[in-house]
Amino acid sequence: MAESPSTLLKIGLAQIDCRLGDVERNAERHLDWIERARAAGVDLLVFPELSLTGYRLLHLTPRVALPPGSPILRRLAEAARPMRVLLGFVEEGERGVLHNSAVLLSDGEPSYVHRKLYLPTYGIFQEERFFGAGRRLELADLPWGKVGVLICEDLWHPELARRLAVAGTRLIIVLSASPGRIGAGALPESHESWETLTRSTALLDTCWVAYCGRVGWEEGSFYPGGSHVVRPGGEMMERAPLLVEHLLVTEIDLRDSDRLRWRLPLLDDERFDIAGPTS
Amino acid sequence: MIRRDQVKARLTLNAPLAEAVLTSFIRDAVETSGTQGVVVGLSGGVDSSLAAALAARALGPERVHGFLLPYRTSARESEQDARLVAEHLGVPHQVIDISPMVDAYFALESDAGPDRRGNKMARERMTILFDQAKKLGSLVLGTSNKTEILLGYSTVFGDNASSLNPLGDLYKGQVWQLSRHLGLPEQVIGKAPSADLWPGQTDEGELGFEYETADEVLYLLFDMGLRPEEVAARGYDERVVRRVVALEQQFRFKRRLMLIARLSGSAVNLDQEIPRD
Repeated sequence: MAESPSTLLKIGLAQIDCRLGDVERNAERHLDWIERARAAGVDLLVFPELSLTGYRLLHLTPRVALPPGSPILRRLAEAARPMRVLLGFVEEGERGVLHNSAVLLSDGEPSYVHRKLYLPTYGIFQEERFFGAGRRLELADLPWGKVGVLICEDLWHPELARRLAVAGTRLIIVLSASPGRIGAGALPESHESWETLTRSTALLDTCWVAYCGRVGWEEGSFYPGGSHVVRPGGEMMERAPLLVEHLLVTEIDLRDSDRLRWRLPLLDDERFDIAGPTS
Repeated sequence: MIRRDQVKARLTLNAPLAEAVLTSFIRDAVETSGTQGVVVGLSGGVDSSLAAALAARALGPERVHGFLLPYRTSARESEQDARLVAEHLGVPHQVIDISPMVDAYFALESDAGPDRRGNKMARERMTILFDQAKKLGSLVLGTSNKTEILLGYSTVFGDNASSLNPLGDLYKGQVWQLSRHLGLPEQVIGKAPSADLWPGQTDEGELGFEYETADEVLYLLFDMGLRPEEVAARGYDERVVRRVVALEQQFRFKRRLMLIARLSGSAVNLDQEIPRD
C-alpha cells in the first residue's frame, strides 16, 4: 500500500537578521528569502519571531504595528503563493492592544494568527510593557495536517505544547528571537536550553518540532541562530549554523509522529482528571 | 549552591565562540553605521590590545587605526608594548603626544593633584579618538571590561567613552583568557595591569585586591545573586568583599551617563525608551 503523500512536506526555516523598526526593508528581505525558498522547493517557510519588525522595539512598538489584513502582509502572501509562510509581526489588535504575533499566509492571504501567550518581562525582556498577551491557543490548518504555532517563551510553559499535541498536532513550530549567552560549552548556553526544550517537547509530546531562531545584533545583544528540526522522539535532525543567515530546508513526514505514538502512547495515556496536590 | 573552587570554571569561556560572537558584533556595528572601521587607543595594556585584535580579525587590520597617546610621564614600556601590539596585528598606528594639550590646561591649574591630572589625560585621549574617528569616518572602539565597569574603575567620559565596546561583558580574567586564545604577546598579557596615570601605578595596588578575586566576587554577587555575607562565607576575605560592594555602589552613576530631570510624560530614556539600533 502506498504511503499517503499528503503528510510529506518540505519545511524551510529562514534564519534571518532583521532591521529594527524598518518594516519596509524587512518586507523586502522576506521577499528575497521567499524566492530562495521557492528555488529550494519549500512548501512551508517559517521566519523568526517579530521578523517583520525586529525584536527589541520598546517604544517603537506602536509605530510598526499592523492589522493582519494590512497591504504589506497581503503583498507577502501574494508573493509567496503557492508556498505557505509563517512570519512574526506586531499585530494591532482590537481595543488598541498590540500583540507579538505570528501570521500564516496561505493562498494569497493571512489565514491564521497566533498571539504570543507568555510575554517575558524579566532580565533583558520587557514584553509585558508593550504587548498584550494572547488568550487563545488554536491549531493552524495546513494541507499536510494541523500544526501548532508557538512563539519563543510559549515553549517554556510546556502545557501549551502538550495541549496542542493532545488536540491533534504532529508538528509544533516555534518562532523565536532569543538573545544569546555564551559560556564554556560548545554551543551558546542559551541555545543549549532551547535544544533541551525542543528535544523534550518532541519526546514527551511525540511530535515534530521546528525551531526558527534569528541572527544579528540589537542594542549590543546577539541572536545566535541555530534553527533546527527535531524528529518525534527527540532526535536532532538538522541544525542551521550559528551566527549567520541561513535557509534550513528539511523534508519531514508528519506520519512519523503517528508511528511513534503507536509505540509510545503518551498522549493517549494522558490524564487531566488527577486530583491534588492540595497545597 | 556554588563552591569557591567551582567559580573559576564558570568564568571560563568557549574562546573560539566568544571570538566569533565579538567579531560579529564589531562587523555589525561598523556595517550598520556605514562607517569605514574603528579607531582605538592603544595603551600597551591587555584590554586595548584585545579590543584591537578582535577588530583586526573582524574587519581586517587595515580598517583598524591604533593611536598611541602618551603623556610625558607615561612609562616608556607602555608605548613600546602598544607599538609591539600594533605591529603584531598589522594595524596602522600613529603616536600623538598629549603633553602639550594637558600641560596647557594645568598651567592654569597648577595645584591639581594626580587624580585630576589622570582624569584630564583620559579625557584628552577621548577627544582625540573621537576627532580621529570623525576624520577617518570610523567608530571609537571601547576597551573597558566588565570588572572595571562594575567597580567604576574608569574616568567618566574618558576611557569609558566609546561608540561600541566588545569587552564590556568580559571579566578581566576572561580578557586574559581571550587574549591568550588570540595569541597576543605574552609580555602584554602577563604584566601587571596599570592605568599608567602616574609612575609605578598598578590597578591592583590602587584597588586593594587582585582582579582574579574581584572577578569571582563580582560573579557571585551579580551573576549568581549571592549576598555579600554569602560570598564571604565561601572563603573570600570579608574586607575585600565589602570593598567590592562599596565601589560598585559608589560608582553606579558612571554606567548611566545621562541624568535627565523629567518634567513631561515623554522624557527621553525614562518614558521614551527608543532603541539606538
